[in-house]
Amino acid sequence: MRRNDSSGPARPARQRWRWRRAPLGLAVAVLLLIEVYPLLWLFLGSLKTQDEFLNRPTWALPADWLNFDNYVQAWRSGISGDLLNSALAVFPALAVIVVCGAAAGFALEVMVWKGRGGVLLLFLGGIMIPSQMILLPLFSVYFQTHLTGTLWPLILTYVATGLPLTVFMMATYCRAIPRELFEAATIDGASMLRSFWSIGLPVLANAVFTVGLVQFFFLWNDLLIAMTFTSGSGHDELATVQVGLLSFQGRFGTVQYGPTMAAICLNVLITLVLYLFLNQRVMKGMTAGAVKG
Amino acid sequence: MIIKTARKRRQAVLAGLCALGLAVSLSGCGGDSSSDQPTGGQAEFSFLGMPENTTVGSVLSTVAAGPCASTVADYPLKSSSQPQASYDQQLQLLAGQNALPSLIFAANTPSLAIELHDGGYLVDIDQALAEVGAAGAILPAAESVLRSLYGGDLFTLPAEFNIEGIWYNKQILADHGIGLPATWDELTAANQKLADAGVQPFSVAGSGGDGWNVTRLVGNYIFRSLGADALSQVADGKAKLTDPGYVAAAEAVSAWGQAGYFGPAPTAVDYATAMNTFLTGQAAFYYMGSWALASFNDPAQNQIGADNIGFLSFPNVSGGKGSADQVPANAGMPLALSTAGYGDGAKAWLSCLAQNYGTVALRDMGQITGFRVNDPVADLPALTTEVQDIIANAPSSVLWFEALFSAQATTTAQTNGGLLAEGSISGAEFMDAVQADLG
Amino acid sequence: MRQVLGDRKTIAVLLAPALICYSLIMLAPMIWSLGYTFFTGNPIRGFSFAGLANFDTLLHDPKTGQALAFTVKYAVTVTVGQVVLGYLLALLYVFHLKRSSGLVRTLVFFPVVLPTVAVSLLFQKLFAIVPQDGPVNSVLQLFGAESVNWFGSGAKAFLVIALMDIWRSMGFYGVLLYAGLVDIPDDVIESARLDGAGGWRLARAVVLPLSSPVLISALIFSINGTLKVFDSIYALTGGGPGSLTSPLTLHMYRTAFAYGDYGYGATIALTLTICCLLVTVAVFRGSRKDLLA
Repeated sequence: MRRNDSSGPARPARQRWRWRRAPLGLAVAVLLLIEVYPLLWLFLGSLKTQDEFLNRPTWALPADWLNFDNYVQAWRSGISGDLLNSALAVFPALAVIVVCGAAAGFALEVMVWKGRGGVLLLFLGGIMIPSQMILLPLFSVYFQTHLTGTLWPLILTYVATGLPLTVFMMATYCRAIPRELFEAATIDGASMLRSFWSIGLPVLANAVFTVGLVQFFFLWNDLLIAMTFTSGSGHDELATVQVGLLSFQGRFGTVQYGPTMAAICLNVLITLVLYLFLNQRVMKGMTAGAVKG
Repeated sequence: MIIKTARKRRQAVLAGLCALGLAVSLSGCGGDSSSDQPTGGQAEFSFLGMPENTTVGSVLSTVAAGPCASTVADYPLKSSSQPQASYDQQLQLLAGQNALPSLIFAANTPSLAIELHDGGYLVDIDQALAEVGAAGAILPAAESVLRSLYGGDLFTLPAEFNIEGIWYNKQILADHGIGLPATWDELTAANQKLADAGVQPFSVAGSGGDGWNVTRLVGNYIFRSLGADALSQVADGKAKLTDPGYVAAAEAVSAWGQAGYFGPAPTAVDYATAMNTFLTGQAAFYYMGSWALASFNDPAQNQIGADNIGFLSFPNVSGGKGSADQVPANAGMPLALSTAGYGDGAKAWLSCLAQNYGTVALRDMGQITGFRVNDPVADLPALTTEVQDIIANAPSSVLWFEALFSAQATTTAQTNGGLLAEGSISGAEFMDAVQADLG
Repeated sequence: MRQVLGDRKTIAVLLAPALICYSLIMLAPMIWSLGYTFFTGNPIRGFSFAGLANFDTLLHDPKTGQALAFTVKYAVTVTVGQVVLGYLLALLYVFHLKRSSGLVRTLVFFPVVLPTVAVSLLFQKLFAIVPQDGPVNSVLQLFGAESVNWFGSGAKAFLVIALMDIWRSMGFYGVLLYAGLVDIPDDVIESARLDGAGGWRLARAVVLPLSSPVLISALIFSINGTLKVFDSIYALTGGGPGSLTSPLTLHMYRTAFAYGDYGYGATIALTLTICCLLVTVAVFRGSRKDLLA
């Protein structure tokens, strides 16, 4: 990089740019190859039989391109119900996390009060708690309060485990908001609470979607919490997608590769659609944010 | 006791606080609504299964629809499942709330099952069977395995009954002019002959915790060389795994590993791959339990043909105290009834299962259980019949290497099994590590 | 203005929901669990007071030492990999791909979407030696090298784990840091460009300082995530061969639930939490002195 920089101002700018772009283009191509290959591998895998998995090389193409048995089997295992459960648990939790997290981050960074550093550290402490440790007490509490057997334990635990990171990140993003914005609003007679809604949140839109995206994938891919709180008391119908994926594992950890991958492909397809949708919003948020500058 | 009540009180206080908090946070955060009503009435018969084991679940629904339809109709089956990896955790959490489902698997580790029984969470099976008029429903051989595994008590049901031994590929042995080895040394010689001919002698799995089939070889060597009680002496602290006789067993297996009899990379092989290696004719011998019959009898998996597979009892060790007619046996993952869920429904179900489980499992799933088979099942595959005969004729049985060990020692043994098979740790190192966890 | 920003009622309204959720569902159970460090037993047997016995065991337990060493090694390697590669990706998005980075961002982000089960299956197959050589070993053979059993020794298994987790999460850190970088006003960068700063110098003198808050939070987040690693290692190697790749979390989970010693498990968790705390405080020292003041 440095060598390119010092390669003289004499050269026309455009040519210099092309020079720089060539290796970069190659790097991006390699990067994409590394990232896209597994997608392809997954999809090809979802068309293979167990025999092909065990006895043919990993990169071999499926023997029958129209072999959708795995998808049929994956669908029959109740993946649609699992998807609904995941959505019912993750989205409400996500909404709460983002709104409460943004509010708290705002209170901790924009508002001025004694002890806010301590409270921020307290939240930060949450990132350090291994979630295996809170399972036993929470299980007791949920059981005693008769929440076991519903999706509530999942939603509540997701909210609590998602908050520390969200609050911390929101506080970080809030630092970048110019304080003059609020001063102007205050002079116009708006309360801070109003300012948070009408100025803070819109300015934070970009951050909100980024954090929301990050949290979405954490919650969507969670296995430990879902496993602990959804099954075990006669409530298999509460299984989430990740728990459902385990049903393709046989005794001694034998995996039925084809149906597993078919189920993963369906799962990935849905998350990908969601991601593309959210990604659009992030771009919109960015352009909205550009107004502030 | 004082501690227990103090703990209860503290739990109650905390639970109250948290419940209060939950209510506050619910209204505060304003989450969305979710589905579902609280748990149903007492009348149902709940079962906590595992996604990894589908046999028990399907036998339960078969008997509920068929032979027991009238007796258990008032107590509908409600099953849920928990993956094997987190099953023990779930049992502890549920037991802590005294909320175990009526029918459960008796934990991954026997020591946890014994703890559950000692804590009064599990029903005594011999009493319960007598109460429902089904005494004698469990085969004596299965009962003796269960009793020796669980400290002399019977609080489990043998949903499976397996024998273990060495399965061999008849064709490969014939091609290389190898007769059935009767001793460990003859088996070693056969392995060498196959290895020289470029054939992988033994298929084993050793990745992650799959190394248990390697430690089975160590355990059986010990039973053959030091006698059937050799490992219970270790469990009782009367002998140590680091004693020379025990170390010799691990060294014998490690030597096989160093000689490459287990293939190039046992630590990279999982259960499915090891099974597949044998069933596609790429290895001559395979140590496994008779539950593998389900795969052996499945033409999609078995490409060498069921007729081509023979069963070899684990061979003698020259000069040893044990003998090859002491068959390694186990009850798979036994079932247990919880006291919390033991009412009229569970009794009706127990009576039904005692009567029908053996027959249905054998007929529909090809699974040999420790229950008496009350209706003879015709048209069984030849291998299955052969195994049944061996079970019927075995004078006595032995358990397996880790059967009586603590959970720590079990994990250590099974995760190090792969390294032993690879020959990358010595037998002495292996035994040191396991003994250290036995305390 | 000061008065408006210090309004107690507003602060309470903004902060309370998050703080209450978090305290009750995470902090309280954690403190509850930490109480068990002075007890021995489990929910089945009941607990009995053991004083400091668990801490004594901790000091003399070679397995905990081994697991701690592995955890630290893993956390350092993977954190450096994740954050450095993620930062390079973010720079790539912002300064070279600019507005057209959407597709690349999506694709590189993609592995985060994949369930752990899928990723570990993929890497097992990529690095396979039996029954067939996987792609990695095939490439080695192409260059005349011997096939390697990647899961046969602790060092090699560690390499695969680290590669897997870096591959998996660098796109995530790319997006995380990207959100921080796009907030740098364009005119700041333009004026630096006009001053003759380009490439590396621009990055070091302007971009790095301006993005440091986000970088620090990514670093903290990454360290805390990697110190608590559980799923990916459990799925890929199960802690093996032997226990050579067992992190503290796996050791704790086994101790608490498989070995039925919840008290000692809680003690190991406390060790882990303290590690996270120390590292986080150390990272903070250099960056946000206001929090620790």
